[in-house]
Amino acid sequence: MTIRQLLTTTSKYVLLTIFSFMMFFPFLWMVVSSIKTKEEIWQFPPVWWPSEPQWGNFVEAWNMAPFGQYILNSVVTAVAIVLIQLINSAMIAYAFTQFRFKGRNILFGLILASYMLPVAATYVPSYVILADFHLLDSYEGIIISNAVSVFGIFLLRQGFLQVPKDVVDAAKIDGANHWRILWRIFFPLTLPSFVAFGLITFVQNYNNYLWPSLIIKSEDKMLITQGIQQFFMQEGGYGMQWPLIMAASTFVILPLLLLFLFAQKWFISGISDQGVKG
Amino acid sequence: MIRERSDQELEVSIEEKNVDKPKLKKNRFKWYMLTPWLFALPAMIPLVIFWIYPMIRSFWISLTDWDYISPSYEIVGLENYIHLFQSSSFYQVLWNTLYFSLGTVIPTVFGGLLLAMLLVKNSKGFGIFRTILFSPWVTPTVAVAIVWSWIFEPETGLANWLLSLFQIEGLAWTSSQRWAMPAIIIVTIWKGLGWSMIFYLNALKKVPTDLYEAASVDGASGLRKFIHISLPLVSPTTFFLVIVSTVEAIQAYDQIQVMTQGGPAGSTRTLLYMYYQFAFEEFNMGRATALATILIIITVFLSLIQFVVSKKWVHYQ
Repeated sequence: MTIRQLLTTTSKYVLLTIFSFMMFFPFLWMVVSSIKTKEEIWQFPPVWWPSEPQWGNFVEAWNMAPFGQYILNSVVTAVAIVLIQLINSAMIAYAFTQFRFKGRNILFGLILASYMLPVAATYVPSYVILADFHLLDSYEGIIISNAVSVFGIFLLRQGFLQVPKDVVDAAKIDGANHWRILWRIFFPLTLPSFVAFGLITFVQNYNNYLWPSLIIKSEDKMLITQGIQQFFMQEGGYGMQWPLIMAASTFVILPLLLLFLFAQKWFISGISDQGVKG
Repeated sequence: MIRERSDQELEVSIEEKNVDKPKLKKNRFKWYMLTPWLFALPAMIPLVIFWIYPMIRSFWISLTDWDYISPSYEIVGLENYIHLFQSSSFYQVLWNTLYFSLGTVIPTVFGGLLLAMLLVKNSKGFGIFRTILFSPWVTPTVAVAIVWSWIFEPETGLANWLLSLFQIEGLAWTSSQRWAMPAIIIVTIWKGLGWSMIFYLNALKKVPTDLYEAASVDGASGLRKFIHISLPLVSPTTFFLVIVSTVEAIQAYDQIQVMTQGGPAGSTRTLLYMYYQFAFEEFNMGRATALATILIIITVFLSLIQFVVSKKWVHYQ
């Protein structure tokens, strides 16, 4: 290694360390702030580490609102949405890649077009539709209105296109029907796409705020994003209980960071749209 | 590709041999022809009910004075649109949307490129950097916007402490008309940077290394290699990211709701936020859907640019 290369590498490490620290610092600051006392939080310049970490803040914040219920609500709706989207995206992706039928290109064009459309523009009519079906203030309302993912259709179609045709033909000769081919051959062969899509969809729905907050009004049905926002607004009213708010934010954010840490490979491959590997 | 085509030809030739033409027309319908539609249906039904139909219905509502509560409404034609274009608050909202979009998209895209340039040649420990840099993307905007509200706290917040290091007087951030938008922009950039980095990493890895080697042989410097090789080759990615993040920026809501609720004095009210207020605070559905139409027109316009330019772009692999 020449001196020049050594210098380049070192400066890269230095820059990346600085940037990474800056990007991660809000999370660290959140945790540090959550274990401060009410006096410490208002000190300026800020206290970098509390003299006596107030771990009890987590318990106190947790008991101030039904956070466990909120998280459960979010997980259940997000999982239901993921399952529905996985199945119907796989089916339509199979139709697009394995059949030649009249209207296929029009259908695909239609889906392509709705990819870019702002989902918010549908909120007023969708709200009315849910009201007509008596699905406001229900999980069914959230799940049904999120039952399709254009991103998922694209991602799986991309994966399906790379399944070798000989494999499909062999299965057809063995007498397998399309439903079987889809789940016994395509599904295992493109499993990475399914996992990536499932994880990304889960996170997006878990993090979704605006649309669920329009649908859900009862306190006990609220999703975690609504719950934390409401907690923030309420605690803001009484001289800002920042340590408690930060504690609540920590147990909302931390599970997602952990999920990402263990499954990052899938997230990144799903986003960079790599589809089938090998 | 070649095999696919030959199969198609094979199918056609078999059909032609077995059935003579008039018969073919009569017996055209076969049950198996429905199979693709059966496979498409489970996705098509929700797509039509919650995407396509609402788009059309939304346009229809925008021509009425419907207030959601009363069952009847009157058709008012383009009045909602005219009213929007005549109100000064609409232009403020348009300006805010433009400010927010430019303010987030440019730094997100170029910051992503910079980070990807640093990361692309894999060295030890770079995986950790990539993980950290991307991690904000997976977290809920609502929750991280709350954390950033604390950082931007005007009295003892971290942001003002940083400024005080440079002898700059603390800002009021989210309670100041001037600095509320930059605060929201900072949060949005922070959250999106890793996302665009991933796209660039992918694009940069596909740049053939012999191009760089050839350039090095010719004595090109690092900067020249970047400008003349990397930049043109990742230009489709740049373009894609600019359009997609603009569409995303136009739809930002969560961070605005948490940090400012569109205030102070409407200084952070974007198109989408105004739409939300019209629809779900004032129940002025006609005006809200008129805004939705404008929102759709803007995104369709952006998508068309994306479509046309990406077809013309020559640097695709």
